[in-house]
Amino acid sequence: MAGLSASFVPILAVMSGQAEQLEAQRASVHEIEASLIALIAGEQFDRKMSKSVVSGAFMGMGGPDLDEKGAEKDGELAAGQPVPKDASNSSNPEQSETPDPLEMEVDSLTADEALIDGRRRPGVQQILPDPVTQNNPGAVRAPPPEAFPTDEFPVPDRWRILQSLCPAKGGDQAIYTLFGALRSNCQSTLNPYAQNVLKGDKPIPADKKPGFLKGDDWFFVANLISDTVVEPRSFPIPVGVQTTERPDSIDVFGRSGSEVYAQTFITGFALIKGSTAYKPPDVEYRLTLATQVNHVNVPERRVLFVEPSKPSHRTDWFVGLQEAFFDYHIRNTSARYDFDSFRIGIQPMQADFRGFLFQDNQLGFRLFGTRDNNRIQYNLGAFVQLEKDTNSGLNDITQTPRESYIFFANLYRQDLPFVGLTSQFSLTYNMNREKSDIQIDDNGFPVRPALLGDIRGRAYDVVYPGYAFDGRIGRINLTGQVYGAFGEDRNSFFTSEPAKIAAYFGALEASYDVDFLRFRASGLFASGDSDPYDNTEAGFDAIFENPIFAGADTSYWIRQTIPFAGGGRVISINGRNGILNSLRSSKEQGQSNFNNPGTILAGIGVDADLTPDFRLSGNANHLWFHKTETLQTLRNEGSIPRDIGWDLSLAAIYRPKATQNMVFRLSGAALLPGKGFEDLFDQTDQRDFHYSILLNAIFAF
Amino acid sequence: MRKPFFTSAISAAALLLASCGGGGDSNDFGGTPSPSPTPAPTPTPIDGNGGAFAPPAQEALSVTDVQTILAQAVGEATARNLPSVIAVTDRVGNVLAVFEMNGARATATTSARTASGAINSPLVDVQGVEVPAAAGAIAKAVTGAYLSSAGNAFSTRTASQIVQEHFPAGPTTAGLESGPLFGVQFSQLPCSDFNQRFGNAGTAALIGPKRSPLGLSADPGGLPLYKNGVVVGAIGVMGDGDYGFDSNTLDVDKDDEEAIALAGIQGFAPPASISANRIYVDGTQLRFSDAVVSDLSPLQSNFAAINGTAGNLIAVTGYASNNIIAGTAYGTEASGIRASTSAEFKNRDAFVLTDGSGTNRFPIRGATDGANVTTPLTATETRAILEEAFIIMSRARAQIRQPLDSRAQVSISIVDTHGEVLGIVRSPDAPIFGTDVSLQKARTASFFSNSAAASDLLGNPDGDVAAFVSRVRTFLNDPNALTGTVAFADRSGGNLSRPYFPDGELGRPNGPLSRPIEDFNPFATGLQAALIFPNLGQHLAFVTGASPMDTPMRCTSTPDAVAGQNRLENGIQIFPGSVPIYRGNQLVGGLGVSGDGIDQDDMISFLGLHNAGLRVGGIGNAPKAIRADNVVVDLGSANVRLRYVNCPFAPFLDSSDQNVCEGL
Repeated sequence: MAGLSASFVPILAVMSGQAEQLEAQRASVHEIEASLIALIAGEQFDRKMSKSVVSGAFMGMGGPDLDEKGAEKDGELAAGQPVPKDASNSSNPEQSETPDPLEMEVDSLTADEALIDGRRRPGVQQILPDPVTQNNPGAVRAPPPEAFPTDEFPVPDRWRILQSLCPAKGGDQAIYTLFGALRSNCQSTLNPYAQNVLKGDKPIPADKKPGFLKGDDWFFVANLISDTVVEPRSFPIPVGVQTTERPDSIDVFGRSGSEVYAQTFITGFALIKGSTAYKPPDVEYRLTLATQVNHVNVPERRVLFVEPSKPSHRTDWFVGLQEAFFDYHIRNTSARYDFDSFRIGIQPMQADFRGFLFQDNQLGFRLFGTRDNNRIQYNLGAFVQLEKDTNSGLNDITQTPRESYIFFANLYRQDLPFVGLTSQFSLTYNMNREKSDIQIDDNGFPVRPALLGDIRGRAYDVVYPGYAFDGRIGRINLTGQVYGAFGEDRNSFFTSEPAKIAAYFGALEASYDVDFLRFRASGLFASGDSDPYDNTEAGFDAIFENPIFAGADTSYWIRQTIPFAGGGRVISINGRNGILNSLRSSKEQGQSNFNNPGTILAGIGVDADLTPDFRLSGNANHLWFHKTETLQTLRNEGSIPRDIGWDLSLAAIYRPKATQNMVFRLSGAALLPGKGFEDLFDQTDQRDFHYSILLNAIFAF
Repeated sequence: MRKPFFTSAISAAALLLASCGGGGDSNDFGGTPSPSPTPAPTPTPIDGNGGAFAPPAQEALSVTDVQTILAQAVGEATARNLPSVIAVTDRVGNVLAVFEMNGARATATTSARTASGAINSPLVDVQGVEVPAAAGAIAKAVTGAYLSSAGNAFSTRTASQIVQEHFPAGPTTAGLESGPLFGVQFSQLPCSDFNQRFGNAGTAALIGPKRSPLGLSADPGGLPLYKNGVVVGAIGVMGDGDYGFDSNTLDVDKDDEEAIALAGIQGFAPPASISANRIYVDGTQLRFSDAVVSDLSPLQSNFAAINGTAGNLIAVTGYASNNIIAGTAYGTEASGIRASTSAEFKNRDAFVLTDGSGTNRFPIRGATDGANVTTPLTATETRAILEEAFIIMSRARAQIRQPLDSRAQVSISIVDTHGEVLGIVRSPDAPIFGTDVSLQKARTASFFSNSAAASDLLGNPDGDVAAFVSRVRTFLNDPNALTGTVAFADRSGGNLSRPYFPDGELGRPNGPLSRPIEDFNPFATGLQAALIFPNLGQHLAFVTGASPMDTPMRCTSTPDAVAGQNRLENGIQIFPGSVPIYRGNQLVGGLGVSGDGIDQDDMISFLGLHNAGLRVGGIGNAPKAIRADNVVVDLGSANVRLRYVNCPFAPFLDSSDQNVCEGL
């Protein structure tokens, strides 16, 4: 199957046996769900899904954006009618010639003998049968082509052929008795689920097309997605330093329960030139806005705002520009629609299959395409990170972009090393020049430089060589990822000196389907730093992770942010929708931090498709720090165990129409603290676990 | 499946690579470069009888050592063309030598630069005061010596980080809380009844802790001196005429005085493993020095070559004569701080203050405030409180000491409601500054919780001091404030003593005991500074020779509680680490703790008192209903509650308990 756009991964995930992947739709308070935006990006997912989902393959985003093209190709190939791009080629098919009979007569046969029944030979005339004569009195010859007036074609384009048959309102409905299926093609033009010019199903009519759009086949696509999140959760929260919510708050840790409510509307518009269903688009303009209103209520002061006098709840809103790009189909490079394209602007980008390293909508330029009948896909890109709105995680283009640049090259090869397995080779370079940067977030907390260690600004260069695979071997579905992180941090916050970065990452997930059940086993390793002062930073950190792994944001540890209370006033152990224990000031606004304790995860899970529209998933993960020396140093505590604890979660996904237009998800996760977590944190609630409940409703139009 | 095979392999590879790190010199201050990994101490069951601490070896600077130190510093000062006054002290504050280079500025001026960057006008509190350069140098040296221990090497730069309105001061921290030791600069005061003075007779001559002419210093250029891992003193350098602080932690502050001091400590630098750069407060690394060894010129160590040529040893009135003396080994009777006897204190780890002749200066005793208290503290109760607090300390994990999982080391003072000392004990290597500070804290908690607080302040002849009472009453909207209705721990009083209320919040007015942020800097902390400003003036006049009379050994002009007893005889302290002591609803005293992290100090006082109450009955912490965390200040647009204490995370070495003060 062709690579699908990053945008589709969450959707695919849901449909292809990864219930938790729905989690990827980050409608969280902190971030816009990239996947939702992605939904918009792939406005035609409904259609696409019917073709692509079958394979269940998990193609990485950042693979060439083949949402149109790949699917198109599938269609073509399935029909067994590859359409040559160039008519001049197809008009001259090579003819296979009959063998030369002269060579056969040489010595053994006479010419007469050789004349076998049914064969002919030059110069030898067989007796011909009598000519057939037709006597058909009263027949009428078919009209010649000239008989049809070419200037009065009744259908403007082929997308409207069927509708041209629709009876007029109040007219003769008899045609439906003859052609019942036509009814679904004769819906109101306002129905978004019917053939609709606003949804890219039909081109913009010529008479309505603005003058600046040259040529034919311009499609307009509008999307609206509503994403609602209700999220009661708990995590360790320190009481306010300067003042507390309640009297008798005389220890570090206070109450832990809090709630998040977030409503996001994602509105997207696209103009596409091409043929959305029959050939790759030539040009695409896309604009996607996400509008979020969020409300958070926490039990303690100085959690949501730097100002301790402010109340412990907060309502915020933001409109973020999540997509604004121009996509140009440069050329086809083969008769099989291999191509080169580029895309410039704010666009979704995912560096690997599972979003371990970088998955975000960011400003950049990307050259991409395919070769060898789409069995090779490539990406070359350069991105600059946009500043994020603190509380929504949406792109804030009113602020100067960050001095953090990402350059990457990757190559996907199908059926390597085995049939059914796709390999990805990648090289990603993050050039960070934020040494002199001072960034205070919207809530007044410093995020760059992080309030950790010597708290001085720093710049770094880090290169991530990566290898990933995704697919199956036999009946075992496999996905795996290995990354290294090598480079230099110009100022290690432990030593105030340049430090070498050398960190490693590996993840593997295998699954096996039995009837309606999919059993999964996952393992992940991100190296931690074992000596803060050795001038080597060995803690793996990503650029902007959004991992779809081990339950994704259904899982407690991936969904929730744990403040590193006592070890940093504005530092979290892990980020929201992140799995790495990276001690960053903020996943969205902070710098990567390679002085971190690392992460180890081992888990199992099962997805049960109880009915076509209802799925139940369960995950049990155990988490550890890899090395706790950095935590120990920052906490002045020499004995922090590595065990984080058990992360148990259960998720139900209900899609009443068995489509992605309405998706409801309810998940609950519990963290049963291990010795390390207990050593770091506490709470005043009479409860010895932490929870994360996520109620998520998505409506897409 | 704890660790799949492939992760082990990767991890091994990571380790191999991780071991190839090189060394740099950004934090090279000349001490043993590489930390010898000291295993964490095995937690010993704490039974209250001792054995948890190893006293530091008795080391001291010799005259030759002092000469070397002076020569090195003078050499660097010469190379930098900044003739300076250089002072060397021992650990207990005896000034071993003061060397004035030719051409050195004779005076320095305390900084009047406020948070806005402007020079404040008019001057407030101790801002803009011209002081003898030698006094500045001595204060810097005392600071380096007093803040340091065998577990932590702190400097005046470290002090600068922890006394400002945001911690640590810098462009990223505006809006965050103040430094943890906010106000510590006004300790070891020249008027203190506790700190000793130069010129004691006989065996008491060298007992400490000695006073500092200017309290503790936040001006870079004061660094501790070590021999064999033990603090033996410090050097202080005053040369640029500006006695200030560093308001930006983010940059690398090139300070010549600091470089000169760094040259001075070469050969006596602290082990790298205990420098402030290895100590973290809430994840923020403290700073020993922005100058490093590679900044220094070639070391000059020949004292004979500079003495009389580059400058001269000078006498400083009230502090030193014009010669070099050898340092006194900390822990000896002569140093004024020694191990306790079993008669003095049950716990054999305890150190006490001594008079040089073997007599405990502050033996445990019952309270003296019978005139005002129905049932004063008995000696048994006092002893129980000190013993229980000592046990909490012995169990507590240090916040400011290396190696990790060291025990907290603090000084513990207890006073009655008249401010009289009922006993002081210390752990063997607690930083010296905490001795005076613990007493300040005990007195402060006892004072502000006292029904006489308002009348005492109003009775101060200085109108500037008296005015604070009405400010508090207006601020709290309570005409009876400061009349004993509320139990103020030092953390609570500290809340009211910040230039923003709530602490650190930009755009908010100052706490009623502080100064407006427009006026504030570490020399203008409000009531704390105003209380002792006249004493400081008297003393400086004495040091400069302008006045023959030194300030009395009794800070503030607060009226006596009864004749001969005064509640604030070494000033007040405004950072956390103390609780008032109650018998039921009646205030009977104060318990002050200082020397480790402020949360540790809080816990040791709070839990120590609580446990003593459980043991002897009758006494304990203030009833919850009258603790200051019931006081909610209405700011119009917001309500802000005061705090009482804050016990630390992961507090104990012998258990993994958290939130150990909850519910008490």
